[in-house]
Amino acid sequence: MATLFSKERRTIYSRKIKGFWEEFSHNKIGFFGLLLLLMFIVMAVFAPWLTPYDPITPSRVADGFAQPGWMTIFPQYSDYPRTMEIFPLWEIGNGSDFVEIYPGKDVECSFYMTGETKMVDISFTTSFNYSYSVPPNRFAVTFDWVAKNLTDVRYSSKLFLVNPNGTSTRIWKEPYTNLPRSLSVIAESTDYWLLKSIGYSDPKAINLANLIFSNPIIGEYSLVFQVSFRPEEDTRMARAEISLLDFKFFIPGLVHGILGTDFAGSDVFSQLIYGTRVSLIIGLMAAAIGTSIGVLVGIVAGYVGGAVDETLMRIVDILLCLPGLPLLLTLVKLFGKNVFYVIIFIALFGWLGLARTIRSQILSIREAAFVECAVASGASRPYIMRKHLLPNIIPIALASLVLSVPGGILAEASLSFLGFGDPRVPTWGKMLNYAFGHGAFENFAWWWAIPPGIAITLVCLAFVFMGFAIDEIVNPRLRRRR
Amino acid sequence: MREYLAKRIIIAMGVLFVVAALNFIIFQVMWAGDPTSTILNPDFTLEQKQMLLESWGLLEPLHIRFIKYLQNMFTWRFGVSFQSRMPVITELSWRLPNTILLLGTATIGTIILGISVGVFAGSRRGSKADVFSLGVGLFADGVPTFFVQMIFLLFFSYLFFLWFGFQFFPSRHMTSVPKPTDPIVYMADVAWHLAQPALSLIIAGFGGWALYVRNLIIDALTQDYMVTARAKGLSERTLLYRHAFRSILPPISTIITLSIPAIVTGAMITEYIFTWPGIGSWYIAALNANDYPVVQAVLFIYAVLVIICNLIADFLYGVLDPRIRVGVRR
Repeated sequence: MATLFSKERRTIYSRKIKGFWEEFSHNKIGFFGLLLLLMFIVMAVFAPWLTPYDPITPSRVADGFAQPGWMTIFPQYSDYPRTMEIFPLWEIGNGSDFVEIYPGKDVECSFYMTGETKMVDISFTTSFNYSYSVPPNRFAVTFDWVAKNLTDVRYSSKLFLVNPNGTSTRIWKEPYTNLPRSLSVIAESTDYWLLKSIGYSDPKAINLANLIFSNPIIGEYSLVFQVSFRPEEDTRMARAEISLLDFKFFIPGLVHGILGTDFAGSDVFSQLIYGTRVSLIIGLMAAAIGTSIGVLVGIVAGYVGGAVDETLMRIVDILLCLPGLPLLLTLVKLFGKNVFYVIIFIALFGWLGLARTIRSQILSIREAAFVECAVASGASRPYIMRKHLLPNIIPIALASLVLSVPGGILAEASLSFLGFGDPRVPTWGKMLNYAFGHGAFENFAWWWAIPPGIAITLVCLAFVFMGFAIDEIVNPRLRRRR
Repeated sequence: MREYLAKRIIIAMGVLFVVAALNFIIFQVMWAGDPTSTILNPDFTLEQKQMLLESWGLLEPLHIRFIKYLQNMFTWRFGVSFQSRMPVITELSWRLPNTILLLGTATIGTIILGISVGVFAGSRRGSKADVFSLGVGLFADGVPTFFVQMIFLLFFSYLFFLWFGFQFFPSRHMTSVPKPTDPIVYMADVAWHLAQPALSLIIAGFGGWALYVRNLIIDALTQDYMVTARAKGLSERTLLYRHAFRSILPPISTIITLSIPAIVTGAMITEYIFTWPGIGSWYIAALNANDYPVVQAVLFIYAVLVIICNLIADFLYGVLDPRIRVGVRR
């Protein structure tokens, strides 16, 4: 190892690298490929800074199949709603005589009543403005609802959404009870039983959000949370403590972000950005492992020769006859859908051509004078292979390394596209698989179905361009005669 | 020549044997394992399990099982599909022609287009047409096949449907849903369904061919004998087609060999995308359903297909390369 890093060696290497870079940077195609690759590397490294969303734990950021945000520059999309999250500031409506109240972001109050027995409705209201002329497709409301320390009282609660012309629609209700409660409520406008309970006989045929957000669409909407108390017949003192916490009214937007959303309303752009990481790592690692095996087998087969050569080449012949992708699918199915297996299995089929090329190259230099000299001066076989043969085939190996990355990326994308990728990591193939399987085509969600494919294509092209350029530099036959 | 072919056939037999052995290891030893633990009712008593295992021949030693397995494989007895409860060979026999139809059309189209573009570009080296073809070729080579197909599908099927109310090319299956009864209409219908998968395979596949053929042509055109031929006063046309093109036929037939596995696998994804009722889509469905009799049969068929194509290409190589035809040792 000491000689590898000696001063003379270093100067030789640095001169070689400089010369190579000189030629490479003057090759237009190769340089373009390098720029393209750098762009993707930046994307992969700076993923968390490029996008606020994390695709590993997907969340609903807008409606399913939301258009890209910049589509609003076109007139037909200009009034599509963006995602709205409404955190209310509650004000008390009627019934304030009966409560000690702390209104605001959260409602925490206690109800009390002495003497007479009658029903009391207490309501809290909050309002928000809707300023788009296109109604949303759905809305959802989430809150924590607690009722405790109940004495001699039955209660029920309801949530209404009131549109600008005063029509109120009940979007949640809890029946009368005298038991304490602590609920985390999620109410959605598409809920079958909600729609059934407010009088729609065929809930699948109607869109509640569209009905509520209509004539006029733009205006002030209010949310009314109403608690009805019904004291027991013979009570002297009815009491209850109620709280309404973490209330959020969510209107998923129909336009979102840079590349819209997928079927579940997750951000597509962040999936694309994070997909770069996995695709690049898989491609590079598979190519590196494959190239190493190819170099090793090629050198050994070419230099040692004889039965070793024959055996190794027959193994190559056999592996070349195996159907790659089907076998890959079977192996992944057999061993488990795991990124590391995927890398190793891809690498296992990625060294065959290179091994043959390198073997033939080695065959042509094994009788060269410098090898004979090394043998004569008593160098061992491993030493000759390492120090004399390996440096000679490094250019070929380098070109092959670069050119086999696209193969690895494509193989992984194919696996993931067919549903045999690692389900825990976001990759471009997986995106395409989901787009294909979850209605991107029927809904013409081009922003979901097309970008991953373009990304795969561009990354592959980057490597193909670079490989092409390297091949032209290291392969004298392809060199242009001047 | 005869010696050369005999050697090839012996190697092919060896490969077939190794493939069968691999199949046996993967499916009979690793995958199936102990079938009594997966497909039998757990209430069966030990004796009953033992009896079943014996009747299935699973109690015999591995080497006996392997020999029987080989017998079954080479006599096309692949067992019964878990999904359809039909013999695998029955389903295979109607699916294989569909795959061959798709693959054959696409492969022939790809080769013709690829060689044409390659020869065109290579014979005009350095011109604008060459650079353009090179760019298109590189691009087509880099685009994943299934992405090309998704784009085709998105525009020719779904966007067309959105705009005009019908699909320019159908998005799935091999025939319309009520099968046309008239044979001519039926053939037209199949051709209509075939157009999109085949066309997309050709578009996605010709790039690599074009690049390869271009390099071969450039190589051939810069050989010394070309200078001689030119000095003889032969026209550029004769030069290109009689001399350069003839000389690149052997390597082209080799690359046909090497590309067959890639085409087979590409067609597998194609079949999946267009739900083409061939063996590729069947294989994926079987994998997902753990239907291993189908999986091992298809894997075996694929290997046989590849080996046969290799043999054919070797034979072609032998016919086309006179050094091999007359038996000169290289």
